[in-house]
Amino acid sequence: MDKRKLEESFFKGVMLFSTFVVVGSLLTIIATIFIKGLPALDLNMLIQTPKGGYYLGKEGGILNAILGSIILGFGSVVLAFLVCVPIVFYINLYRKKKSRFAWLVRFVLDVLWGIPSIVYGAFGFTLMVFFGLRASLLAGIVTVGLLIIPIMARSMDEVLKTVPMELKEVPLALGSTRLETSKVVFRQALPGILTAVLIAFGRGISDAAAVLFTAGFTDYLPYSLFKPVATLPLSVFFQLGTPFPEVQERGYASAFVLTVLILVISILARVISGRFTKNIVK
Amino acid sequence: MEFKTHISVKNLNLWYGGQQALNDISIDIPDKKVTAIIGPSGCGKSTFLKSLNRLIDLQDDVKVNGQVLVDGENIYDPHVEITHLRKKIGLLFQRPQALPMSIYDNVAYGPRIHGTKHRKDLDGIVERYLKLSGLWDEVKDRLQGPASKLSIGQQQRLCLARSLAIEPEVILGDEPTSALDPISAEHIEQRFLELKKQYTIILVTHSLRQAQRLADYVIFFYLGNIVEHGPAAEFFRNPKDAKTQAYINGRFIEGRKADKELDLKGTVCPANFVKAKLALEGLDEGKVLRIIVDYEPAVSELPRAMEYEGHKVLEVKRLSATDWEIVIQRL
Repeated sequence: MDKRKLEESFFKGVMLFSTFVVVGSLLTIIATIFIKGLPALDLNMLIQTPKGGYYLGKEGGILNAILGSIILGFGSVVLAFLVCVPIVFYINLYRKKKSRFAWLVRFVLDVLWGIPSIVYGAFGFTLMVFFGLRASLLAGIVTVGLLIIPIMARSMDEVLKTVPMELKEVPLALGSTRLETSKVVFRQALPGILTAVLIAFGRGISDAAAVLFTAGFTDYLPYSLFKPVATLPLSVFFQLGTPFPEVQERGYASAFVLTVLILVISILARVISGRFTKNIVK
Repeated sequence: MEFKTHISVKNLNLWYGGQQALNDISIDIPDKKVTAIIGPSGCGKSTFLKSLNRLIDLQDDVKVNGQVLVDGENIYDPHVEITHLRKKIGLLFQRPQALPMSIYDNVAYGPRIHGTKHRKDLDGIVERYLKLSGLWDEVKDRLQGPASKLSIGQQQRLCLARSLAIEPEVILGDEPTSALDPISAEHIEQRFLELKKQYTIILVTHSLRQAQRLADYVIFFYLGNIVEHGPAAEFFRNPKDAKTQAYINGRFIEGRKADKELDLKGTVCPANFVKAKLALEGLDEGKVLRIIVDYEPAVSELPRAMEYEGHKVLEVKRLSATDWEIVIQRL
């Protein structure tokens, strides 16, 4: 009996410790950027573009990067969404459970998920060269889109797998086509699909390596698909990379802005998805 | 008795992977009657049901040959428009599955996809079929509320209304009452009795009592074969096949439960005869005794002896490598 009790408390301890490590590191990260960045954060940082190229002027703001990141993030999420929904519905509703094709698609997506974002950046760059495109918002959207497609698709896939088989069968039994059935399943899975989109958005907006070569950098606000665009992760990268403590501090402030941005969008999306859950079948 | 039919199954064979699940099934389903499909679990009842509207197509590794003729058309013909076929055949599942939408939209779903768009027509359809399924009075004030908030019994009636709303000719039920409480189950049974005037109803059921209450025609499945089928009254009164008899009798026991248990393990003849005889005589007439034995000769000899004593042997079943169960009714 004692041995069983010991075992129980040991593993409970391990579980608590792991939880503590995860939550603790999140809190530490937030605390670090909060403490280091907050002194440098003021309204000007949010509403002005940088003064003095590459943020070296220690003045002005990061509005170019905030807007750039939001636009690039939304653009790539929309692009990825348009690709992911058909893939995921195809392998879940048009193919049978043990389909080899579906297995292959999932395998490919898992491999793609594991590829480092710098490789996506390099791939995006070769595409740009091929099409004769310069570093631009469009190239950034495409590259980040490619980067988040596997993440979004596999998350959605897991969501669709949890939809009960009966819910897929009922519309079909009523004489629906598979497309009409997909619409019903879409409704049921909507909160999960939104979560998948969010995960992908968070990953896309915060990735620096993928946009390094493709989206480029500029001090100006984004105004054209074919011009370079500034992004928050790169601002953080550049600012932290300077030898000036004041600019480094502004880097932490930028990181803080990025984190808050992701947080706000997560909360917004949850509130919005909450409105769609009324009819969900549990 | 002669029946008209518009569902006629001819030499239907079905395999899951290499495993044959339906074995040369040929049967005509009578029109405007309740046909009950009975048989032990895993004998192909549900598979057969789902092969009638080709929902079986969704399963992995399914191979079908043979014919299912609905209104004279073989539904496994590649040219068949499957959405039209399924519109003719409504299906009720074991667990009611509401669609993630309002009560109104659940019923209107089928008519909408089949082309009824006008709000007024839909209003009429929703009201008519909710009334027909006996749910209208309970939900008429909250038609726009989510269907998932209904009780499970109400959901099954909603599913019935939803199936009826596509105006099918046939209603299939895959154990539609087995997940429900007794009162909800009775509601549904009542609906079936009313609906059979207009619809052909095919029910898979685990409950022999339900089959007896509802069915006009009974099909007994065993290991992918149809063992016996016929009009219900005849089927239950006078089952011809030994397997059918065993199944019908066996199932009655389960419903009844033994009144007394007697453990005769380690006891040999003739001591076990005497003990069993005394135990039976200690019971009231019609009561049931369940005996466990592990002595091989007793398995055949004990029932014979008790029959001789004037009691009725209901079942002899192997429980494990060594143990047998003998169920005897005192007469």
